[in-house]
Amino acid sequence: MDKQAQLEKRNALLAAIRKVGGDPADLPFWEGCEAGVFLLHRCAKCERHYWPASRCVEHGDEAMHWVEASGRGRVYTYTVLHHAYTPATRDKVPFAIAVVQLEEGPFYHSTVLECAVDTVAVDLPVEAVMMPHESGLTLPLFRPGRVRPGRVRPGRVRPGA
Amino acid sequence: MRGRCAIVGLGITEQGVGLGLEGRELRARAVDLALADAGLPREAIDGYIRAHVEREDLRYMGLSPNFSVSMMTGGATPVFTVIAAQALIESGQAELVACVYGEAQSASAITGKPDIGSYGYGYPTLYGLLGAAATHAFHARRHMHLYGTTSEHLGAVAVTQRNYAVKRPGTLGFGKSLTLAEHQASPMIADPFRRFDCTRNTDGGIAVLVASAERARSLRKKPVYVLGAGTGHNIANWHSGEVFEHHDNIAPAKARAFAQAGMTLADIDMAQLYDPFTISPLMQLEAFGFIKAGQGGPFYAEGGARPDGAMPTNTGGGQLSAYYTTGFTGIAEAVLQLRGEAGEGQLKKAATSLVSGHGMNAGVQNTWAHACMILGNNP
Ligand SMILES: [Zn+2]
Repeated sequence: MDKQAQLEKRNALLAAIRKVGGDPADLPFWEGCEAGVFLLHRCAKCERHYWPASRCVEHGDEAMHWVEASGRGRVYTYTVLHHAYTPATRDKVPFAIAVVQLEEGPFYHSTVLECAVDTVAVDLPVEAVMMPHESGLTLPLFRPGRVRPGRVRPGRVRPGA
Repeated sequence: MRGRCAIVGLGITEQGVGLGLEGRELRARAVDLALADAGLPREAIDGYIRAHVEREDLRYMGLSPNFSVSMMTGGATPVFTVIAAQALIESGQAELVACVYGEAQSASAITGKPDIGSYGYGYPTLYGLLGAAATHAFHARRHMHLYGTTSEHLGAVAVTQRNYAVKRPGTLGFGKSLTLAEHQASPMIADPFRRFDCTRNTDGGIAVLVASAERARSLRKKPVYVLGAGTGHNIANWHSGEVFEHHDNIAPAKARAFAQAGMTLADIDMAQLYDPFTISPLMQLEAFGFIKAGQGGPFYAEGGARPDGAMPTNTGGGQLSAYYTTGFTGIAEAVLQLRGEAGEGQLKKAATSLVSGHGMNAGVQNTWAHACMILGNNP
């Protein structure tokens, strides 16, 4: 892709982020999703991972950069929405929203695919799948997945925390 | 800080759904009622704090204070307004500060438009996550997972609070009993919350007047002293990855409030805890240490929060069963109890009350802000 095309693509993505009320600081994350990789914001000094784009609680902006993450985690908690708060969700209910704790520590709120709403459960291992969304963003959704033994910490404290 | 300022006037308007009054009118009536309650003239108000944004109230109400400020940290705002009123009085900026709320909430509805202002991060709305019920449900589900808390336990909170409201004229629950079976039969809204686990938006106004303790003693109503107050923000628990185990960041708020008051939990007669959903008072009772972590469900089921229980909680029906004034409900109830004006619902032992507020829906977890204070009828 030439430079001009890259710039246009980037601007389109920024516009999509702004339109949904997202933070332009998260642009690299959404670019990653389009490219099929799950990125997290990481502090090189203490190895804490963050989502969304953050400053490190200890090191501020000194050593923050986006790194490729596993895209795997487990359901930490969830809800099943039965009440349609908007016309847009009237045909969707009931649907589950899971808070996934990624292997690297941060939480990511998403939908669990290939899983009936009454089978979503705390501790369910999941992995990200990238799906295009009407907003113009590519969204990570999750599906039940295998977790490499020993990779998902049973505890609730993030690395270095 | 203990007992240097007091609540000297309380105004509670009609509370209900679809009252047909705009917020400004509700606030004006609440201020008039508070002035009448305190036996003070309009010009006595020399400071005005509105919970939420304010531009027009002073002209409309015919008030002439030295300042009018807005505060907004969601349902924690009411307690914050009293803390701010104290600071303004102590710094010599005012002698009588009106802390005012009044909104016609029942007319507004969630729009569904992702808004980074109210939903801290826009992205969860892309998945259909919307509303405070869903974000509080994350904490409830986690509590169930860790401690075996059940929907019946949440129902016990709803029933306990309704039993208080049934006897309290002017509340939405007045004369309308609720059984656990009715709670269990109510439709699921955001699992694990059923209809009766959720508050509903109501219209209404409340104003409290704050003055120095010295001034308070010369006024007609029994002063309700601010004995201590504290704040905590849940972002600390977000950073440590423990936010879903914490309904609020209560530890720092509790430490400061009790240190200022020179009191311990054993000195508290009742608790008025912010209750948008049934899980909320249950988790706060645990976090304050009235009961052990995980014991909230059995505590409610066994009657611990009833008038004769170990810690009578939300004794006017709370926001779940009385009315929803975004945090002023608990302050008003504490004032009524501490003055001995709670009617048939008057507790026998009512010298001190813990009051909490919790707010700023986050879109990713329940809310961020917490403020608490200890009110008492002895300085
Ligand atoms: Zn760091």
